[in-house]
Amino acid sequence: MSLRFSRRPASRSLLASLCIWAGAAALGLGSFAASAQGVIRFGAPLPITGPLAPEALKQQQGYDLWAEQVNKAGGIKVGAKKMKVEIVYTDYQSNTPRAVQTAEKLVTQDKVDFLFSPFGSGAAKAASTVSEKYGMPTIAATASSSQVYDQGYKYLFGTFTPNDTLTTPLADIVKLKAAGVRKVAILARNDLFPLAIAQEMEKAAKERGMEVVFFEKYAINTLDHSAALSQIKSKAPHWIFATGYINDLVLIKKQMADQKMEAPVVTMIAGPAYQEFIDAAGKGAENITSAAWWHPSARYKGVDIFGTPANYAKLFREKYKSEPDYAQASASVSGVLFQIAIEKAGSLDKVKVRDELARMNLQTFWGPVKFGPTGQITSLEPPVFQIQNGKTVVVFPAAIKQGELKLGVK
Amino acid sequence: MLGFQVILNGLVLGCLYACIAAGFSLVWGVLNVINLMHGSFIVLGSYLAWGAYNTLGFGPWTTLLIAAPLFFTLGYAVQRGILNRVIAAPVLVTLTLTFGLDLMLNNAMLVAFKADYRRMILDPPLGTWSWGELVVPVDRVIAMLFALLLTLALYLILRRSRIGRAIVAVRLDREAARLMGVDVPSIYATAFGFGAAMAGCAGVLLAMIFPISPISSGTYLGKAFVVCVLGGLGSVPGAVVGGLFLGLVESLGALAFGPEHAVTLSFTLLIVFLIVRPHGLLGKRGFE
Repeated sequence: MSLRFSRRPASRSLLASLCIWAGAAALGLGSFAASAQGVIRFGAPLPITGPLAPEALKQQQGYDLWAEQVNKAGGIKVGAKKMKVEIVYTDYQSNTPRAVQTAEKLVTQDKVDFLFSPFGSGAAKAASTVSEKYGMPTIAATASSSQVYDQGYKYLFGTFTPNDTLTTPLADIVKLKAAGVRKVAILARNDLFPLAIAQEMEKAAKERGMEVVFFEKYAINTLDHSAALSQIKSKAPHWIFATGYINDLVLIKKQMADQKMEAPVVTMIAGPAYQEFIDAAGKGAENITSAAWWHPSARYKGVDIFGTPANYAKLFREKYKSEPDYAQASASVSGVLFQIAIEKAGSLDKVKVRDELARMNLQTFWGPVKFGPTGQITSLEPPVFQIQNGKTVVVFPAAIKQGELKLGVK
Repeated sequence: MLGFQVILNGLVLGCLYACIAAGFSLVWGVLNVINLMHGSFIVLGSYLAWGAYNTLGFGPWTTLLIAAPLFFTLGYAVQRGILNRVIAAPVLVTLTLTFGLDLMLNNAMLVAFKADYRRMILDPPLGTWSWGELVVPVDRVIAMLFALLLTLALYLILRRSRIGRAIVAVRLDREAARLMGVDVPSIYATAFGFGAAMAGCAGVLLAMIFPISPISSGTYLGKAFVVCVLGGLGSVPGAVVGGLFLGLVESLGALAFGPEHAVTLSFTLLIVFLIVRPHGLLGKRGFE
C-alpha cells in the first residue's frame, strides 16, 4: 500500500481561477451599471469578516433599515426630484490598513456620493484622511474617542459623544445612590476604546473622592482572567469596573462568579447593551450597570424618518425579529443625518452637504443632534442603564429613567 | 493566601491547556502534520456540546460519548480522503492544506452559527468549592479530571494497544513499519482521528468554561502551539507537563508583572525554548 502523490497540472486550476475572477468582475460591473441613474450611493467599508464581524453585522442592519425606509418613502428629496438610496458595502476583513484602502476604492472606483466611516475609533481615524483628501462628507457611526476628531478635518462627523460622557453620569449616580462605594477596581482590555474609557473612569472616580485600589490592563485574546480577578478579590473593592468586548466581559463575569466575587456595583463597558451579552451571561448579568449612547426607551421626538426611539425599535423588530441597540441605531441615524443634510442643501454637492451637516441643530430619534467645531456630536446625554430581570433598565438621567439603581452583584 | 490561590488557578488552567494541546501534539509528532484545523475542531466540539445541551438536554459528559466517535470519524475521513494524498510532500504543503481546510471549516461555522459569542449555561450551575479563602470552580475541576483521563487513555492506547504500537512504529520509521506489514495510510488516518477526537472532546469540556465562537479557534491553536513546544512534540505526558507549566507561568506572571504581560510572557517562553531546548521538557525523538 503506497501513498499517492497528487500531480495534477497547475494550468487547469489557473484557468479555473481566471474564469472565476472574470465572472466576479463582470458581476461587479453589472451592478454598477444598473445603479448609475437617479440613485444616491453611500459607501460603507465594514469588517464583514474577521474578529469584528459581529459589529459589522450590526452596522449593516442599521444602514439597511434606514435605506429600506427611505426607499419605501420614495427616496431622498434632492431639489425637485426624489432619488433612491443604495449602500455599497466593502469588506476590509477587520484589518485597519485595508479599511483605508477600501475607503479610497469606494471613493475613486465605485464613485460613491457619500461615505460612512469604518468601524471603531482607530479605523475611523485612519480612513478620515481619505475623506479629507477627496472632500468627501463622512459620518462615523462608531467612533467616540476625541482623538479621532482633533485633526482639524472638515469633512468628518461623528454620532458618539466623547468617552467621558459615559463615565461621568455613571460615577455621578453611584456617588448619589451608593454612598458606601469608596474603593474602585478597574480591569481594562489593552485596546484603544476599552483602555480610554477605563482611564476616564479612573479620573471620574478620583474626582469624586473614591480610591482606585486596582488598575490593570489585560492583553487582547486573553483566555483566562483568574489571576487578575484573584488580585481584585484580595482588595475587596466596592465597585468593579471592567472594559472590553462581549467575549471578554462574558468570560470575566463567569470567572467572577467562579471565584465567588461580589461587589455592590459592577460596571461593564461595552457589551451589556447588547442582548447577546445578556443571553450569554445568563443570571450572572443581573444588576450589572453600563452606559451607552442610546437606548430604545429614550423619549426623543425627532423630525426624521423614524421620529421616536419607540418607532425605530418597532420597525427594527419587524425587519430583524430582535431588539435594536445603540450600534444599529447609530448606523441608522448616520443615514438619517445625510438625508436631512442633502434635502436641506437641495443637491448632492459635497461642500453644500458638508456645510449643512456642520450647522445642523435638530431633534432626531437618536436625540438632539448638533456637532461641535471638531465634527463630533456634543448634544447627547448618554443614558446609564442596569440589567434587571434580564432586561436593560435605564436608571439615569432622571428624564427617561425606568427604574432605580439596585446594589449588589453576585 | 493570594499566592496559593494563583497557583491553584494556574494548575487548573494548565490542565485545560493540556486538554487543548494533547491531540495537536499527537498529530504533529506522529504524522509531522501541523494541523491548523485543531482550533476549529475544538470550537466545533463546543458547539456540539452547546447544541446537545440546549436542544436535547444532554450534559457535557454524555456529549463526550457522542463527540469522541464523531470527531474520530471526521478526522479519519479528512486524513484518508485529503491529507494522505500529500502526506509525503514537505511539511509546508500539509501546513498550507490544513490552513485552507481550516479557512473553509471556520467560515462554514461563521455562516452556520454566526460570530456571536454563546455560552452554555448549566442549570443548576455547578458552583464553586472552597476551603477557607481558597476557591476553585467545579466545572474547571471536572474538565480538568476528564482532560487528564482522556490524556491518560490516549497514552495507554499508544503504549499498550496493537494499533497504538503501530502508530509509534510508523512514527519511528515509516519505511520499516511498512515492510513489517503495517498499513501506513490507515495508521495515519487513525492517528489523525485520535487527534481530532481529542480536540472535539476538549471542545465539549471547554464549552462549560469559555464563551463559544468560531473566532476563538485561533486563540486555542496558539495555546496548543506553545504547550507542544514547551512539553515536547508528540509526547502525551509532555502535553500535560507543558500545559501545567504554561498555566503556572501565565498565572504567576500575571501576579508578578500584571495581567497585560501574561500572553507576552508565554510567547517569550516559546522563543526561549525554541532556542535553548527545542525538544521541550519531555520530548525524546522517536519514542513514546
